[in-house]
Amino acid sequence: MDNEMIMNAGRRDGPTPPRKQVGSWRTWRWTLGNYLFILPFMILFSIFVIGPILYAFYMSLHEWKVLARQHPFVGLENYRQLLKDDIWWIALRNSLYFAFLTSAVNTVFALFVAIGVSRPILGRDFYRFIFYAPVVLSVSAMGIIMSWMMNTQFGVINYFLIWFGLPPVKWLADTYLVVPSLSIATVWWGFGFPMLLYIAGLQGIPEHLYEAARIDGANSWRITWHITLPLMRPTIFFVAITQLIAHFQVFGQPLIMTNGGPGRASFTTIMYLYQTAWRFFRMGYGTTIAVGLAFVILFFTLLQFRLFGRQSVVEY
Amino acid sequence: MRKVTWALSLLIVLSLLLAACGAPPTQPPPEAAPETQAEEATPETEEAADTTDAAAEEAAPEAEPTAIVAEAGTGDIQLVYWNGLTGSDGGTMVEMVEAFTEENPDISVRVEMMQWSTYFDKLLTSLVSGNPPDLFLLHEFEIPQFASQGVLQDTSDYYTSNGGPIPDEDILPHVMKALEYKGGRYGVPLDLHGWGLWYNKDLFEAAGLDPEACPTNGEEFLDYARKLTLDANGNDATSPDFDPENVVQWGTQVSWFKPTVLSTMWQYGADWTDGEGNATMNSEQAMAAVQFWYDLIYTDHVAPQPAGFDGWQSFAGGQLAMTPEGSWMLNFNDENEINWGVCPLPQFGDQPATWTSSHVIYTPTSLEGEKLDAAQRLIGYLTSQGLVWATSGQPPARVSQLEAMTLEEFPSAKVLGDSFMEFGRYDTANECIQEIIDIGYMPELDSIFNGIKTVEEGLNDANARIQDILDRCQ
Repeated sequence: MDNEMIMNAGRRDGPTPPRKQVGSWRTWRWTLGNYLFILPFMILFSIFVIGPILYAFYMSLHEWKVLARQHPFVGLENYRQLLKDDIWWIALRNSLYFAFLTSAVNTVFALFVAIGVSRPILGRDFYRFIFYAPVVLSVSAMGIIMSWMMNTQFGVINYFLIWFGLPPVKWLADTYLVVPSLSIATVWWGFGFPMLLYIAGLQGIPEHLYEAARIDGANSWRITWHITLPLMRPTIFFVAITQLIAHFQVFGQPLIMTNGGPGRASFTTIMYLYQTAWRFFRMGYGTTIAVGLAFVILFFTLLQFRLFGRQSVVEY
Repeated sequence: MRKVTWALSLLIVLSLLLAACGAPPTQPPPEAAPETQAEEATPETEEAADTTDAAAEEAAPEAEPTAIVAEAGTGDIQLVYWNGLTGSDGGTMVEMVEAFTEENPDISVRVEMMQWSTYFDKLLTSLVSGNPPDLFLLHEFEIPQFASQGVLQDTSDYYTSNGGPIPDEDILPHVMKALEYKGGRYGVPLDLHGWGLWYNKDLFEAAGLDPEACPTNGEEFLDYARKLTLDANGNDATSPDFDPENVVQWGTQVSWFKPTVLSTMWQYGADWTDGEGNATMNSEQAMAAVQFWYDLIYTDHVAPQPAGFDGWQSFAGGQLAMTPEGSWMLNFNDENEINWGVCPLPQFGDQPATWTSSHVIYTPTSLEGEKLDAAQRLIGYLTSQGLVWATSGQPPARVSQLEAMTLEEFPSAKVLGDSFMEFGRYDTANECIQEIIDIGYMPELDSIFNGIKTVEEGLNDANARIQDILDRCQ
């Protein structure tokens, strides 16, 4: 009896799933319930996400002035224009730079902070709270706070630099520093969220692995390097992908903190999209920029899958 | 199954992107905060959205992310009036509306004031959805952009020449002309605001300059700026010991590029277009005009690099002696108890000219019946109260009101209003004016004044971009 219970442990209740017979009625009957569960979501998803995506693509094939009654069809003209639009390329370069820099720093920094605050240290919950707190700020609040802190003339950061006898830094006013500065501000604001994901991931690592390592005489560094990091690969991969996608679409920070300047040094793709669609009323070209950006991000996402996807599966 | 998973994952990625609704860290702000200075700095900053100077101005005193709503009157005919007057002149506007509803008890007005950046987004959305406000404020140069899409009501019959209540003969001719678009006349002007030179009298006195006298030309302006620029050791820019790397008080600044550069270009006989579909931003005269300001920064060291320099706060803090700025600066100066003076923009080039603009009140094409009648009455009232409006620093658009202003009552509006009447100019109207400003020349001027491009490179690039836009927007 006991043996039977043990053998049945972990087995789901209900009928045994049929052997794989693609297209058979039994297979459909088995999976139908699952599809019904996701049906409400898929309906809403189709109406509010897939529909607008298709419509955006349709708009990108037209000269679509938002208030005009006529929208002449222009075929791929908007895409042809996009390819030779140097502002698009400048904005894309800035977005790429920002996205890779911020995602890389955020992914690594948040991981080490998460490892730090997962240890049984004094005030652990307090640190978690402090590190996570900036995430709750809106981008407007964060942007205003950081633009004042990084202000060349009156900023508190420069105040302390001068106090320590160092020269003031033009955080947001220097062509070369502006994107890294925006990145610093964004990491401060947003690293709490990936930190949270990492903490959840760390809690999923079986404790007996650490115990075994310690019995074998491994020190903290070797435990981190040989146990924690390898087993965190799926979470790291997830964080890296979502961070990259999110930061490619950077908008609020440069809009509030630099307005895209100096010159166009921090002008990003979404700023260009917003400006084109909502300031110049050129929805057709605006959606072309959106579609263009979508393909660029898709390319880099696929590249990440290709390069790191296989390493993101871990079996205990 | 694996392929399906992949496809679904990619679909989700794609949908996130196209919907532009990524994770929290990059969502657009609920309020695009940039333009938060006195709302007048903003209406134009709206277009000028890229100047770092604007960014400095924005950062200045207050950021009001939420719409301010005021209800006036209890009448049955309810009007909704949107504007971007979130500075102290918004209060003046509300007082005027309240006075109107007291005289017209059958009408009530809901005044909604919001940041200009938010304002344009909301206005556009409301127009597209067919639910616009009954009255709204724009600027005269925006008429072609909006009127060309058929969303503005032709208001020709609001004027006395067509049997309406607004006396068109009392409005400056060039202001009336700016309201015309393809045979129609759009909106009623509320004011004629523009660009002048504000200065700190205390700093003038400290530099041994007469606080009641202004520089009148480029040479005098440079001379004043040199005397007013001080390094940390107290040397002014005329001293051989002057340290340009360690300036604590600046003589002047470029300020908001658009009005400063347009005014200077006009004075030099240049413009961004010849009016016949050709960009002329890289003409010799335009180069000379921009070079004048470039030299103030990099050769004479009497003006700071604009990026990172907060002009308004520096002026309030006594670290900036003279600044080209709009007529809307009055309230900021008073609130900060600056011992200010103001004078017409000096003549840097061969002829006097200064940039001006007008707030214009519009009604949408969908407005009709008793609401249209009520809106006409409100517009008539507001534009007749130019002298009340002028207390916020904005000179009125009507000649009789401009002439009725006295120096004692309206010290800044009088000085600047007279100069606007005498040599004020509007920007050239174009259906793509916003694009010409935001994409065409503002970022290029920003690159020039921040030392990223030379004057020639920047203006050549600006010219090419403007030409591209003009080719599309003829």
